[in-house]
Amino acid sequence: MSEKNKARQENLFRFIDKDTIQSEKITAPRYSYWASVFRVFFRKKINIFLICVFVLLLLCAFIIPAIEPYRPYENITDAKTFNLSPQAAWNYFGGFSVKWLLGSGPMGNPIFLGIMASARTSLMLAVICAAINMTIGIIMGAVWGYSRRFDQVMLVIYNIIANVPYILLISVLVYVIGAGFWSFIFALTVTGWLGISYFFRTQVLIIRDREYSLASRCLGTPIPRMITKNILPFLTSVIVTLLATELPRYISMEVFLSYIGVGLSAEVPSLGRMIQEAQSAFMVYPWEFWPPVAIAAAITIILYVLGQNLADASDPRTHM
Amino acid sequence: MKRYMLRRILFSIFSLLVVIIAVMLLVYKLIPRSSIFQMDDVWNKKSLNDRVMYEYAQYQKFGYLDYADYTAFLKSKYEGKYGSDYTKQADFKADKDAIQDENSYLENESVKEFMALYKNKGYEPNYLTPQRSPSGKAKKGGDGYLVAVREKSVFLRLWNYLTHLITVETTADVQDPALTERYVRVEHDPYSGLFAVVGSGTTHKYLLYFDNRFPFIHQNWLHLNLGTSFTKFRGQEMTDVIHRPTGEQIKTVTQYPAKLGTDETINSAIDFHSLTYNSNPRTKTEMKQFPDQYTTYSYRLSGLSMIENSFVIGLIATFLAYLFGLPLGIQMARHKEGLGDKIGNAYIIFIMAVPSLAYIFLFATIGTTIFNLPYKFANAEIKILGYVLPTVSLALRDIGNLMKWMRRYMIDQMNSDYVKFARAEGMSEKEIYRKHISPNAMIYLVHGIPGTILGCLTGAIITERVYAVPGVGGLLTNAINGYDNGIIVGCTVFYTTLSIVSVILGDLLLARCDPRISLSSGRGGGR
Repeated sequence: MSEKNKARQENLFRFIDKDTIQSEKITAPRYSYWASVFRVFFRKKINIFLICVFVLLLLCAFIIPAIEPYRPYENITDAKTFNLSPQAAWNYFGGFSVKWLLGSGPMGNPIFLGIMASARTSLMLAVICAAINMTIGIIMGAVWGYSRRFDQVMLVIYNIIANVPYILLISVLVYVIGAGFWSFIFALTVTGWLGISYFFRTQVLIIRDREYSLASRCLGTPIPRMITKNILPFLTSVIVTLLATELPRYISMEVFLSYIGVGLSAEVPSLGRMIQEAQSAFMVYPWEFWPPVAIAAAITIILYVLGQNLADASDPRTHM
Repeated sequence: MKRYMLRRILFSIFSLLVVIIAVMLLVYKLIPRSSIFQMDDVWNKKSLNDRVMYEYAQYQKFGYLDYADYTAFLKSKYEGKYGSDYTKQADFKADKDAIQDENSYLENESVKEFMALYKNKGYEPNYLTPQRSPSGKAKKGGDGYLVAVREKSVFLRLWNYLTHLITVETTADVQDPALTERYVRVEHDPYSGLFAVVGSGTTHKYLLYFDNRFPFIHQNWLHLNLGTSFTKFRGQEMTDVIHRPTGEQIKTVTQYPAKLGTDETINSAIDFHSLTYNSNPRTKTEMKQFPDQYTTYSYRLSGLSMIENSFVIGLIATFLAYLFGLPLGIQMARHKEGLGDKIGNAYIIFIMAVPSLAYIFLFATIGTTIFNLPYKFANAEIKILGYVLPTVSLALRDIGNLMKWMRRYMIDQMNSDYVKFARAEGMSEKEIYRKHISPNAMIYLVHGIPGTILGCLTGAIITERVYAVPGVGGLLTNAINGYDNGIIVGCTVFYTTLSIVSVILGDLLLARCDPRISLSSGRGGGR
């Protein structure tokens, strides 16, 4: 019996040759940083929901103005169309229409088309400004934090520029170069990167003197390689966090600057201008005031929450 | 430490100077100067050379340049020679008319003298050729003028600014030969019943005095001249603009200086402590009312000044923010991921992400409809209620911010080794939070406290505008929109000084709260 069993077991096993190529392969799944980031990011259902809302908003903001351009002065000659509530606007313009979904403004302008065109301006402004400021800010910040000599010079410059009231700087620039879309972007970015750069410099300083950086320096790693391989990967989550606060900041800033009268020029539709024009009568014509406020709030909140969650996900410690 | 502070203060003064230069360059060089005439009716009415002359006068007033007019030069020249009726003299008339002929004006002796004098001073002569209609008569506003112009350099402007920044009243201030008695002495003050420092020959009569208004002791001795307004507050200094009380007059029973001791009283809001010198001869009634030439006065007003309004609102809001924000942040960190934490986080996101304009209007709507609070500051029937909405709007924002940071720092500290040790030692959770985590988390927040308090002096621009609070928040933006150069420079100096002082105070406070931090270490504290 046992003999038979033994023979059967021997039949079950067989010798194989040693395979040197196979033994070099790592069987653990490949770790990809960004794949893990998005895996963690999409684990939260709220993020998927917010992305859907945001994509919808983006589509509306870019497609609707393309199909039906916003013409604020089309009814300027017809005083009856001024300040109509949604209900009154539908009655006046012959039944329900998407164009008059939110009533009309002080010049007979359709509020709905207005906020869509303005949302497009705000989104573009936020993305372009954030892209420029973040790029320059991070590159300069990395060098600033890394080089001690550069640090001394930059600190003096920073201390001085940070003390010039930015409202003054922006309004002078807007005044000198005009208040169009691109000059406004120039005004926001010409010193805007400095704050980001300063924040980033402090982060780089902390990492620069860590032991592994010191070891790397001892081995003779050149500075550009040190910055790109040793320091920047460590700061990915910081960069994403920064992005999360920067993007909505420009939308708020545009609203604020338009409100105090240094914003974009009148021909560029913007949320800030719409809010500013409607705020004096916001109790009387609430449909002119709250929709742009709601859109501005919605965009900023979505961008902020998404950015924060992405920043959380970009921290490798959460990739379990 | 002393050396460190000295170096720090010197560096601060240096950066303040550079900021002033930068702002002066921005304001005086970058903005096209002709923009000051955009809303000017006088400019619109003038034409040709008259308009150019008006422009020169305005440019000088706004601080762009210095100019000298040939006619004024002639006036001073011939007034010395002939006295007040110099205009009737033939040689004055000849010199005056010389510039109406563009071909021969350079041959006139006075013109040559004028040119030479101002060329030496660095002025550039500018001859405005007479504009004539075809008939040969001068057009309206087309008279010829001769001026010498000097652009103000940035350093000259800075020097003028700095030398006039602080002025002290002396007995030589009043340039009136009629005033013989000049003194500064301590006298009994009949209006307060105490003593006061009284001057004669100084601009103000009462240099140091007591009264029943906060802060009870007042002075007119030193004046801080941050900048003079040209457009909105015609000719007033910025410090006066932000410091002048507003509101209605408070009438009290008082007496004119000359009637003191008699039983003739008046019911008036005149503040006799504010008397200033008036060099015009006194009228008959003034002769009866005042014993001397100090006859110009201001009134006592019930309201606070612009800066006081802003400061009161900001300070109460800051106090409320720390009172509620810190404990709420601590509680959120203690019960992390709980319901309270989630609600708190939602609130923080709301405050962080929504444009401040939007939520201030939201608070305004809630406040006016549900709590029936007055919307506009001036419409408040009970004065104190007008302060409620602005203060609450500011406080709600600050609470959100403080909650965010307090929670963040608390959570960072909660994972520290010393907390594990404390727990291992058997301390209760309450004790750990109260005695260990909170003080350590507070260290990060301490640095911002002086900045928050001093920042209240700059006002809150949107809040004040929404509720129509007469505060200092909109001062800079209004000045920018109105090309009020003096106020722009003044505001910048004021804000920059506040920010520099608050950073230094913050560092000192930080070093005081955290014994591990030493500001004067070799690494310069900035690491």
